[in-house]
Amino acid sequence: MSRSVWKGPFVDAYVLKKAEKARDSGKNEVIKIWSRRSTILPQFVGLTFAVYNGHKHIPVNITEDMIGQKFGEYSPTRTYYGHAADKKAKRK
Amino acid sequence: MADMICVGTISGAFGVHGEVRIKSFTADPQAIASYTPLFTKDGSHSFDAIQITRSLKNGFAARMSGVGTKEEADALSGTELHVPREVLPSLPDDEYYYTDLMGLEVVDTGGNILGRVHAVHNHGATDLLELTVPSQSKTVLLPFTMAVVPTVDLSVGRIVCDPPEGLFD
Repeated sequence: MSRSVWKGPFVDAYVLKKAEKARDSGKNEVIKIWSRRSTILPQFVGLTFAVYNGHKHIPVNITEDMIGQKFGEYSPTRTYYGHAADKKAKRK
Repeated sequence: MADMICVGTISGAFGVHGEVRIKSFTADPQAIASYTPLFTKDGSHSFDAIQITRSLKNGFAARMSGVGTKEEADALSGTELHVPREVLPSLPDDEYYYTDLMGLEVVDTGGNILGRVHAVHNHGATDLLELTVPSQSKTVLLPFTMAVVPTVDLSVGRIVCDPPEGLFD
C-alpha cells in the first residue's frame, strides 16, 4: 500500500537540517547521511550527498529527475564490477 | 596485446549443430556481433563472423565462423572474446569508455597525486570513478561531473579533480 498523501514525503529530520546547513554555507561539500529511507526533496537538487550502504558512503549528486525517489536507491549494497567492454561514462 | 578489450565469453555449445552459447559484456548485448573479428585472449585465434541465432537466458546462441560441430563448440567453452581498442567507435566530447578511464592517475588542482582509477560505476545517478588511494586499503568514489572532474587528459593519462570537502575523509 502506498503512503497517504496527507502525510507528505518522509524525510529524517537530521537530513533536512544538514541539507539546509550545507545550502546556507554555500560550500562545496558532501553531506554524509545514513538515512537511505528518506525521500529526495526538490530543495536537495544540486547538493551532493554521501549515502551509506552499510560499508561506505556513496556520493550521489541530486538532480531534478531523482525527486520523489529514496536515497537508498542510488547507493547499492552489493558490489558488482563486471567487464568494462564498450561501456561509456558521460561527464555531466 | 595490451589494447585488447574483453567483450564476451563462449560458455559452451548450444544444440548439436555447432552453435555456441555466448555471454556478452557489451552495453548493448547484441552489439558484440558488430565488433568482428573477435580474438581469443592470446590473439592466436580469430572469429571473422558471428551470427546471433536466438536469445538465451544469460546470453545468446550464435554461429561462429570456423565452428561447425558440437565438438568444436564444446572445445571453445570458457574462451574469452576480445577486440582491439581501435575497433570501438570514437565518442563525442565528455564521453569516455570505461576502459580508457581505468588506470588513469588522479591529481588535485594543486598537482598532488590522489590515486588511480580502479573502476567506473553507475548506480543510476552520475557515473562514479572508484579510486585506489596510495597507502590506503580502502577505495574512494568520485562523482564524474564537470564540477568535480574538470579535466580528463587521456593522452597524458591524467585526470585533474577538485573533490568536494569530506570526500577523502
